[in-house]
Amino acid sequence: MRNITKRYGQVVACSSVDLALEAGRIHGVLGENGAGKSTLMKVLIGLAIPDAGQVLIAGRPVVIADPIAAAELGVGMVHQHFSLVEPLTVWENVALGGVGSLAPGEVRDRVGDRSRHYGIDIEPDAIVADLPAGLRQRVEIVKCLRRDPKIVVFDEPTSVLTPGESEQLFEALRRVVDEEGRAVALVSHKLDEILHATDDVTIMRQGAVVDRRPTAEADAAGLARAMVGRDVSLRSERVALGIVAGDEPVAESSETPAEPVLAIHDVIHRTPDGRALLSGLSLAVGPGEIVGVAGVEGNGQRALGDLLSSLLPVDSGHVRVDAADVPCGRAGAMQDAGIAVVPEDRHDSGVVLDMTVAENLFLADLARVARGGVIDGRRLREQAQALIDRFGISCQGPDAPLWPLSGGNQQRVVLARELAHDPKVLVAAQPTRGLDVGAIEYMSEQLQAAAAAGVAVLLISTELEEIMELSHRVAVISRGAIVGEMPRADVDLERLGLLMGGMAEATP
Amino acid sequence: MTDVAEEREVEIDTKRAARSQASARRAAIIEVVVLYAVCIAAALVLAAILVAATGGSWRDVFSALLDGSIRRPGRWGLTLGTALPLLLVALGTIVNARAGLVNIGQEGQLLIGAACATYVGVRLGGPGPVVIVALLLAGVLGGAVWAGIAGALRYWRGVPEVLSTLLLVTVAANAGGYGLKNPSLLLAPAAGRANRNQVSEQLADDTRLPRITVFGNEFPISVLLGIALAGAVAFVLARTVPGFRLRMLGRNPRTAQRAGVSATRYGMGAMLISGGFAGLAGAAMLAGGDFGNYQLVPGFSVNIGWTGLLVALVARERAVAAISVAFVFASLRTGSGFLAATGVERRITDVVQALLVLALLIPPAVIYIRSRRRALAASKDRV
Repeated sequence: MRNITKRYGQVVACSSVDLALEAGRIHGVLGENGAGKSTLMKVLIGLAIPDAGQVLIAGRPVVIADPIAAAELGVGMVHQHFSLVEPLTVWENVALGGVGSLAPGEVRDRVGDRSRHYGIDIEPDAIVADLPAGLRQRVEIVKCLRRDPKIVVFDEPTSVLTPGESEQLFEALRRVVDEEGRAVALVSHKLDEILHATDDVTIMRQGAVVDRRPTAEADAAGLARAMVGRDVSLRSERVALGIVAGDEPVAESSETPAEPVLAIHDVIHRTPDGRALLSGLSLAVGPGEIVGVAGVEGNGQRALGDLLSSLLPVDSGHVRVDAADVPCGRAGAMQDAGIAVVPEDRHDSGVVLDMTVAENLFLADLARVARGGVIDGRRLREQAQALIDRFGISCQGPDAPLWPLSGGNQQRVVLARELAHDPKVLVAAQPTRGLDVGAIEYMSEQLQAAAAAGVAVLLISTELEEIMELSHRVAVISRGAIVGEMPRADVDLERLGLLMGGMAEATP
Repeated sequence: MTDVAEEREVEIDTKRAARSQASARRAAIIEVVVLYAVCIAAALVLAAILVAATGGSWRDVFSALLDGSIRRPGRWGLTLGTALPLLLVALGTIVNARAGLVNIGQEGQLLIGAACATYVGVRLGGPGPVVIVALLLAGVLGGAVWAGIAGALRYWRGVPEVLSTLLLVTVAANAGGYGLKNPSLLLAPAAGRANRNQVSEQLADDTRLPRITVFGNEFPISVLLGIALAGAVAFVLARTVPGFRLRMLGRNPRTAQRAGVSATRYGMGAMLISGGFAGLAGAAMLAGGDFGNYQLVPGFSVNIGWTGLLVALVARERAVAAISVAFVFASLRTGSGFLAATGVERRITDVVQALLVLALLIPPAVIYIRSRRRALAASKDRV
């Protein structure tokens, strides 16, 4: 791939990226969320058309207009999110992608044969819905390899796997490469698996390639530094916008206060199929403190947000607010304890799209606008209007439906509601995702104002710049646990990168 | 661009948007009316063709339906009495649908309610009004328990309520049949019935619902109760805290959970209320006089539960709208009694009814799809 450039609006997702995949080698593509890895792979598989640059396969320039064209050219991809039909059997899923007539016996035999060949044993007649994530991925792999692609892309393949399953996956990958001479691209943000499983590595940051070398010559520290980057460029832009006062980050209260408002202790939660979403997570936030939870996406941030939204029961451990136990997973318990949440996905657990703006502003708090269980429509509208004015929500009025509002305005609705409770704790999960610069600025101001008013603020974000800019203390989450904490002033990017990459043993 | 200029532009945009929104709303209303008119006309034309195909005259059929449902003396009273249980079933369905649950077992819940009401009404002695209230409450309780079984399975064992409510209809039919075979339960003493009939004892005169006569049309007093209940359901859902929380649960269970609405508690409550309404419908049919002879007989529920579901569907989950829809559906039912004279198969009304349901369901679907598409287009414009 040469000189690939792809823009989305004004955002340059990839700028003049070169990438060479060689037969018989595993090429790692390393980078943070939003570094452009996925976009690059989308170009290769035909899901995105590049604005500039060209793709060459075996030296010939080709046009990859869609995934079907990609398949014809011998490019296959195993996606991070499975695209399987759950009620069907394994072999039926594999056969789905094919064209022409269907020979069930033959496909079934082939599936069994292929899976044994790669050492990834799957039963062709098993129903996909019954399989755990690890096995489902194997089905995806067999589905992909059945078309005999020359180039195979694996997008974050281990994000849903247990360490044991990841190990098996890499063995299978090695076999695909060594015995059949295919070229493999492994997209990942995990340092250890890049080091462990690849032959070459390309490191991307902010849409550009920052480094490229044989993996044998790379070490974890160097990769981490290259991935995270020394300069946090966005920060300087924000200083220019006048959001951050000056150079020095806000870091006066760097010590953990003696009396945390929010204390999460050793919380463990496992999914029914045994994956640990939270594996002994402990974290404390004091009054007036902003604690940033940094980490690569998919390491338990969502579960942590759900936990504090009363959406996740725990297997063990406890959550305390002002030293009082809060029952995890009971409807409304976290909110009643004074925990306000701006959720990661507001459509999922932040708003009710089909209700009005006013209703959304008082979802949990109708008692304030009701008398004897009957909602006082006028009071609801008045108070809603007050919140709309105070938080600058741009809408047609309190009775307007919520769904046509822009993302930034919906976010303001959530924030207005949550702050109107006078919370003790404010949890903001990926609060600026998908918002424009103005909305991001507003969000940051509000978080800082809340902290200044004595609220304990927990900022969960995959945007390192955001964490660095706002937090007094940075905690790193990896594989469902906090693996390291440091005051903002002492943040060492190299160590941060190592921790985020899952190298928990690293010492500062 | 400077901030001021940007702000001004936003302001202009907002005004423009408001104007275009007003005209868009007018266009939308016209669109809705036209859609409904076209769909209903299409259904009627199809029905007319069907009638013609079976050798009848559609004019005669239409006129007979009108005669049977409202025109002839006393008929609209009967239609009102028929509409009542339909309305009650629909009100319950609206409650569970708003909570995001699919209860389709009203036919069974209604039958169990009627059976419980029969038992209490026949066995409980005392002043008439007390017995009437008691038998209505017994109906509510019976229906609620029957729906509660499905609710309990849903919330404690994860069984989809769509299946369990539906399957419990069959169980209810058999349980009712068992009761009607057993003298210690519902079966009337041998003296009170023809030998081979499995029927219950009749309700005593003073335990029947009083009937009101207006312009020669007679209907049970429960019709007024039904209309009051429709108003109450509409009010509770729209204006009270519990109603609001129920709607929140139906629209977004995760947001609701976070805001303190327990799916188990509220969902279970919605199931019980829904079953209670169906049970009340059964009790009201028994004590009202428009369905049979104040006694429980095999096949007592006569599809009222199923038709009530359709009423809720067509009324699009709005309690007040359900009143008129229930009346229309009841009209088809009572009107069909006059079809024999036209020589057209009586069951043609079932077909007409089905066509009307389809006709009334198509516009909301079309509107939904269109608004989604518009929203999608709008969101693309924003990006």
